[in-house]
Amino acid sequence: MSRVFVTGIGIISAVGSTLMENRSALAAGRSGISFAATLSSRYAGVLPCGSIGTSTDEWREQFRIDHPGITRTTLLALHAFSDAIADAGLSDVSLRDPRVALVGATTVGGMCLTDELYRDTTRSCDNSPYLSSYDCASVHLFLQSRYGMTGLGTTINTACSSSANAIQYGARLIRNGLATTVIAGGADSLAKFTINGFHALQILSPKPCRPFDRDRSGLNLGEGAAFLVLEGEEVLAGKEAAGGRAGGKETAGGRAAGRAGGKPIYAELTGYCNTNDAFHPSALSLTGDGPFLAMQGALQSAGLKPADIDFINTHGTATENNDEAEGRAMLRVFGELPPFASTKSYTGHTLGAAGAIEAVYSILSIRHQELYASLNFAEPIEDMGIRPVQVFRQHAVRHVMSNSFGFGGNCTSLIFSNVN
Amino acid sequence: MLYIHHTSCIYPQKELDQPAGPVDNKLMAAEPGYEGIPGNMLRRMSKSVRMGIGAALPLLKYSPDGILIGTGYGGMEDSVRFLNQIIGYDEGILTPGTFVQSTANAIASQLGLLHHNRGYNITYVSRGLSFESALLDAAMLVREHPGSSWLVGGVDEISDHHYRFECAEGWYKEGVVAGEGAAAFLLNDRPAGALARISKIVLRGGENEEVLKSALTGLLDDYPPDLLLSGENGDSRARNWYRIVESLMAPDTGIMRFKNLCGEYPTASAFALWLACNLPGALSERRHILIYNNYKLTQHSLILLERLL
Repeated sequence: MSRVFVTGIGIISAVGSTLMENRSALAAGRSGISFAATLSSRYAGVLPCGSIGTSTDEWREQFRIDHPGITRTTLLALHAFSDAIADAGLSDVSLRDPRVALVGATTVGGMCLTDELYRDTTRSCDNSPYLSSYDCASVHLFLQSRYGMTGLGTTINTACSSSANAIQYGARLIRNGLATTVIAGGADSLAKFTINGFHALQILSPKPCRPFDRDRSGLNLGEGAAFLVLEGEEVLAGKEAAGGRAGGKETAGGRAAGRAGGKPIYAELTGYCNTNDAFHPSALSLTGDGPFLAMQGALQSAGLKPADIDFINTHGTATENNDEAEGRAMLRVFGELPPFASTKSYTGHTLGAAGAIEAVYSILSIRHQELYASLNFAEPIEDMGIRPVQVFRQHAVRHVMSNSFGFGGNCTSLIFSNVN
Repeated sequence: MLYIHHTSCIYPQKELDQPAGPVDNKLMAAEPGYEGIPGNMLRRMSKSVRMGIGAALPLLKYSPDGILIGTGYGGMEDSVRFLNQIIGYDEGILTPGTFVQSTANAIASQLGLLHHNRGYNITYVSRGLSFESALLDAAMLVREHPGSSWLVGGVDEISDHHYRFECAEGWYKEGVVAGEGAAAFLLNDRPAGALARISKIVLRGGENEEVLKSALTGLLDDYPPDLLLSGENGDSRARNWYRIVESLMAPDTGIMRFKNLCGEYPTASAFALWLACNLPGALSERRHILIYNNYKLTQHSLILLERLL
């Protein structure tokens, strides 16, 4: 089966609207968690969030979109998607090829229009411009139509592991010969709907979150989007040949390791695994069975040993339950843990976008050979004694594992590897 | 290659050869008693979760390696229920149960929970291509894991508010009837004892006729179908897409439109696949079947299968 490479990235989060801005914030240890100015909810000034300051209307103007049914979630997705395809140098014509697939992920989708949906369900909806916006698929269908894409387009919702699964599905489409290029990722915006949902579950922290700390008090919600352009080695070899750089005895992967059609390749997606914890609808088993199996399966699929992993970008939501279950599962897999951190202390928990955003951070870690610090950590969880990276530093990074776990027990681990 | 070994379906008909017509333009599913679902779980389930689990449960005894569900609007009804709480209590103290159940992955994850299945578990929410995305995933899984077997389902319900939305947007004009149902399949790579072999699954987007034609031509190279199961629902805007597909069939290919049996909903193609495996009467002589479904003009799916029993 073909090897799969990341050839383009687009990202927007509370710590920046470009790849460069995101990396600068991670390197500087600068969190984006604050009080959301753009969220209409009584909790907006009470519970800190990883919110993006740009208003939905400003984005509409920027992208010249006047349809009110295009939601904040979709605009976030458009932002990251357009950056990703530009970064990979995909032309408008190439996007229309039916062998190019779009695999999106979202949990909020159009539900960010909480008040509009309430109006439409309780009064006449006859002239409402929002009716086809509320579902999750509205996000990828907008992108597909805007770019005239004709190939496979789909959306995954496995709660907070959604976009990790989108990346996995995209890579498998390539490996199975069902697509040549896949743009895979996810988007979610802050919404009255989710902030009330997580508040009802009593897992939102009134302070900036403290992943893996003994005194952690829950998660901060966030918003954002990220898309990766995935391409198989055959496609890259073709691009190289077209660019006149096809080497004599080099393998396609070897050529890919350098550049794709003159552009740098970010990383290779070498491992992935999706499992279910099968324990509780909204909590992980304390032995972390689902996370354990996901991490172990990802290592197996990559053909790697635990000791090969140089950094783990954890799910690390900073809820009582997640960090304990994930910590125990990591100890079961690794024995002695490699350096690990939770970048949710920068972005908040971006739900359906988190897997893709954290995939991007994992790739940044490989690309710049550096480890990002987990913020707000002071004391380790009793009986476990594990400590995340607390200071940003240079470090040799060949393989990074990125964990994403969600409600319904949906667990996915991805492994990205250095190609240089 | 992907083989169907077991099927299960909850759909709007009691007798396929004497189909009942719609009531108030809706074909409502004939739901079973759901004996296998614990009462306390059943009471909390929305209709789509109930139907999805009810259809899939009989197949869990074959111990699939994982669970793949497609649902166009799954979770929307529970979402609206939670939304009413948010607004009704002015974002006050709310109960989390409705929120947790409103996630679209409730069907696949509760199946995992019920059967302690820690394997692959995924939910596609891609409107008219939700079920097909799951089916294509299963085709990849059997190739990646020889000897494995998978449970794949497609589920959607008619909800009051969603029906109103669809009416307001003009999707139920010209005799288009709303439908609902849940179909589930046990799939693996073993030909022995299989009901059918799925040889091609193609998903396409947009409104480019050439793209659909070239996808069809590519797939008809395998063998010409002797029956087309057509998702045509009466909407004149979609008619051209079905004419294109019909025009590329051999002259003696039979055409059977299936939405008079199940109504229109995003995962109606799951019912069509069930129907292809359970054709009534003389139709059961047909061997090679093509399912074409078009959802709201821009989502196209083609499933080519061969009946083996």
